[in-house]
Amino acid sequence: MSINVLLVEDSPGDVRLTQETLRNSKLPITLHVATDGVEAMSYLRHENGNGQSPRPDFILLDLNLPRMSGREVLAEVKGDDDLRTIPTIILTTSDAEVDILRSYQLQANCYLTKPVRFEEFETLVKSIDDFWLTKVKLPGRGNASD
Amino acid sequence: MKKKSFLSRMVRLAFGFAMLTLLLMGAVSYRWMVISDDSDRWVRHTHEVLSNIQDLALAMESIESATRGFVLTGKESDLDAYRANVARVAQDQATIRSLAVDTTVQQIYIPQLQVLSAERIQRAEMVINLRRTKGFASAMAAVASGPDERDTEFQALIGKTLDKELLLRTQRVARTDGYLSQSKTILILGILLGISITGIASWAAVHDSDKRAAAEESLRQSEDNYRGLMEAAPDGMVVVNQAGEMVLLNAQAEKQFGYRRDELLGQKVTNIIPEGFAERLIADGTRTAAEALAQQIGTGIELIGRRNDGTNFPIEIMLSPLESAEGILVTAAIRDISVRKNAEMHLARMEERYRGLMEAAPDGMVVVNQAGEIVLLNAQAENQFGYRRDELLGQKVTNIIPKGFAERLIADGTRTAAEALAQQIGTGIELHGRRKDGSEFPIEIMLSPLESAEGILVTAAIRDISVRKNAEMHLARMEERYRGLMEAAPDGMVVVNQAGEIVLLNAQAESQFGYRRDELLGQKVTNIIPMGFAERLVADALRPVEVALAQQIGTGIELHGQRKDGTAFPIEIMLSPLKNSEGILVTAAIRDIRVRKAAEEHLAMKLEELSRSNRDLEQFAAIASHDLQEPLRMVASYTQLLARRYKGKLDSDADDFIAFAVDGATRMQQLIQDLLAYSRVASRGKDLLEISSEDALRQAIKNLGGAIQESGAVVTNGSLPNVLADESQLVQLFQNLVGNAIKYQKGGTPHVHISAVMDANRKWTFSVKDNGLGIEPQFFERIFGMFQRLHKREEFSGTGIGLAICKRIVERHGGTISVESQPGQGSTFHFSLDATALKSQQDSEVVLCQ
Repeated sequence: MSINVLLVEDSPGDVRLTQETLRNSKLPITLHVATDGVEAMSYLRHENGNGQSPRPDFILLDLNLPRMSGREVLAEVKGDDDLRTIPTIILTTSDAEVDILRSYQLQANCYLTKPVRFEEFETLVKSIDDFWLTKVKLPGRGNASD
Repeated sequence: MKKKSFLSRMVRLAFGFAMLTLLLMGAVSYRWMVISDDSDRWVRHTHEVLSNIQDLALAMESIESATRGFVLTGKESDLDAYRANVARVAQDQATIRSLAVDTTVQQIYIPQLQVLSAERIQRAEMVINLRRTKGFASAMAAVASGPDERDTEFQALIGKTLDKELLLRTQRVARTDGYLSQSKTILILGILLGISITGIASWAAVHDSDKRAAAEESLRQSEDNYRGLMEAAPDGMVVVNQAGEMVLLNAQAEKQFGYRRDELLGQKVTNIIPEGFAERLIADGTRTAAEALAQQIGTGIELIGRRNDGTNFPIEIMLSPLESAEGILVTAAIRDISVRKNAEMHLARMEERYRGLMEAAPDGMVVVNQAGEIVLLNAQAENQFGYRRDELLGQKVTNIIPKGFAERLIADGTRTAAEALAQQIGTGIELHGRRKDGSEFPIEIMLSPLESAEGILVTAAIRDISVRKNAEMHLARMEERYRGLMEAAPDGMVVVNQAGEIVLLNAQAESQFGYRRDELLGQKVTNIIPMGFAERLVADALRPVEVALAQQIGTGIELHGQRKDGTAFPIEIMLSPLKNSEGILVTAAIRDIRVRKAAEEHLAMKLEELSRSNRDLEQFAAIASHDLQEPLRMVASYTQLLARRYKGKLDSDADDFIAFAVDGATRMQQLIQDLLAYSRVASRGKDLLEISSEDALRQAIKNLGGAIQESGAVVTNGSLPNVLADESQLVQLFQNLVGNAIKYQKGGTPHVHISAVMDANRKWTFSVKDNGLGIEPQFFERIFGMFQRLHKREEFSGTGIGLAICKRIVERHGGTISVESQPGQGSTFHFSLDATALKSQQDSEVVLCQ
């Protein structure tokens, strides 16, 4: 049974980079992509033709998104009794102090800055794979590696 | 009125007399009755006495004859008569004694009569006894030898007593007759007098009542007329009697007080006029009601009326007397003066306000009526003329302004007073005022009309222009001396006295301020320099004028001048004292510093522009570098992904090209990150706090841990002070300098020493000394520029931003950075930071540097 990851990211380059990097994972990962906040919320709430979409085990969320920002998505997810248990990781280019603080105040599970260099980005995605998807016990799944 | 009372008095008097006469007559008649009764009694008394005496005499005769009879007969029965007559004698004697108690003469005779009659009875007894015992003869002898003188004496005494009694009777009758005739005369006279008086009085009374009837008739008529008049009167009319009760009123009075007529008639006038009216009707100890009233007649008395609904309103009453059948009535004409009172109050308020304004005026103010009399003045005017207010009010204004003022108020043949005045309004007229002590002083008056209840009044604002006049005189004296000098001055010159009044000025000052000279002389200097000059002339509690002034002398003071048209312009004044007979004057050289000010402002504006463009640039750098980073990251990431997946799978050219692309992208990423770091020195800088520079160095060394270990560098330091700095930036500063010292080496063991000394300006100068490559002097400046490198990339990596960031950090802290070096001898970088002791000063410097 594969792990469902929702990637909320407007940059196709970053989507592809993430996909390419996760391809080497030992785990069967299914990556679902939403390119803005509204789409992400539709997916999570099974609206607008997302009736059958599986509940993600994990969300990777960019902050700067068109229509509905990552901060708003984060606030909605963490304000929803049903969705708040889904681990949500902020993955963004911003390293502004105010963004970091605000995200943690909205109960983000982790805040990561996109590294400038490719190797570093690769390492980061691998470490997410290694830590969050492999070592961490996610709700409703028991040990992820099982 | 007087005549009537006189008549009735006469009648009253006449009746009084008649009564008196009757009383008198009554008294006389009574006396007459008493006297006649008395004399009757006496006459009866006398007759009684006489009859008793005669009876006594008769009884005595009977005793004698009875005795003789017995002697003759010797019959005891003949003694019965004797015994009866002895008893009769005793009874008569007792009666006479009681009757004669009041007559002294009879009192002498009666005891003698008693003694004699007792003797005679004794002898008769003796004779009777002799007849009984001795018989007829001896008895006869005794009778014959009887002492006849005793009988004769008795008879004589009886006669005397009778005579006396008769005389008494005659005397009494005569006296009674006298009284009677006297009383008769008095009675006749009294009746005659009474009749005549009554006659006169009744004539007078009849005459008087005729007259009164006629008078009452005419009064009734006039009352009817009066009633008609009353109703026609515009005022409320109330007629009140002496008891203060209303006996008549008109419709207006009903309306005024809100009562119906029948509610008021017969009521006390105090119901509608609670105070001040009734009191005026009443007599007091010193005057009669008529007099009390007379004093009030014809004068308007202001009182308070009370309406039916209890509300009060001001009234004015005019009293007039009205003679009537019931005595003097008082007619009160009652006028509602609410409107007038309001108007008066309004006027009073206006006057009060005006008075307040007047008192606040800086000039003397005098209000004069058309007759040239002073009706109002303020305290300043009192001071100016040396009079007390009450000494001036109502006086002719010529007393204080002998000439030129009163004349202006007066109409002449060709114009009215108002016109005459209108021609003077608003223009200053120079006249002379006269003080109470007779001294004169120059004044300027400004007239303005003031309409009031009493007609047009004239308000005169009076300004003492002694100072100005003196100044003019002074000017005349001084002008020759100073004019040349002053006029030659390039600046405006104004000479001011201690009162802040301008006494002299030059043409430049005229043109600077746009006034004519005569408009400024004598005026307050605050008119042209509103603030900052006059204050400097004034002594305060701590220093005298001289000292106050001395502190200002010779220093340029920047102030604002005010032109006649009200516009302000910047000036610089230089003060210098000028001693003369009137004390210290101050000469102010006034320079128009508009040009200089404009230049200064221009400079300030340019500075502001510059700093704004600097800020814009910084913001631009921050945004640009951040936004450029995103696409660059894509380029770099994908070229690297290409290189990873396809290296060796394409041809060798392709591998080279990919390598160049990767290298370019990577370098550009570094440049952008450095640029971002540079711009963040300003944009993310924190407040400067007191921190330990040694701690900052320790942190920097820790951050450089890898490089130091790798190179085996030895980093040492002297004692380092506390400084005022942004800690993270100070760490970065040390990190960059020490990092450079380790980096630019020729291969040996790097030695770096950091020390600090305080310089003369109480700033700490830090030195970071190394034993590295050293720098050529021509590059000392350049190395602090952005992206300036002295080496090839192949020799030393880096973009050349490190020292630029150092410079920026030091400058942000208000310090400087420099380098001292010889190629091959190592370099020493110096930078200065503020010590913490002079914190406030440093803060301001920091602000300036930012």
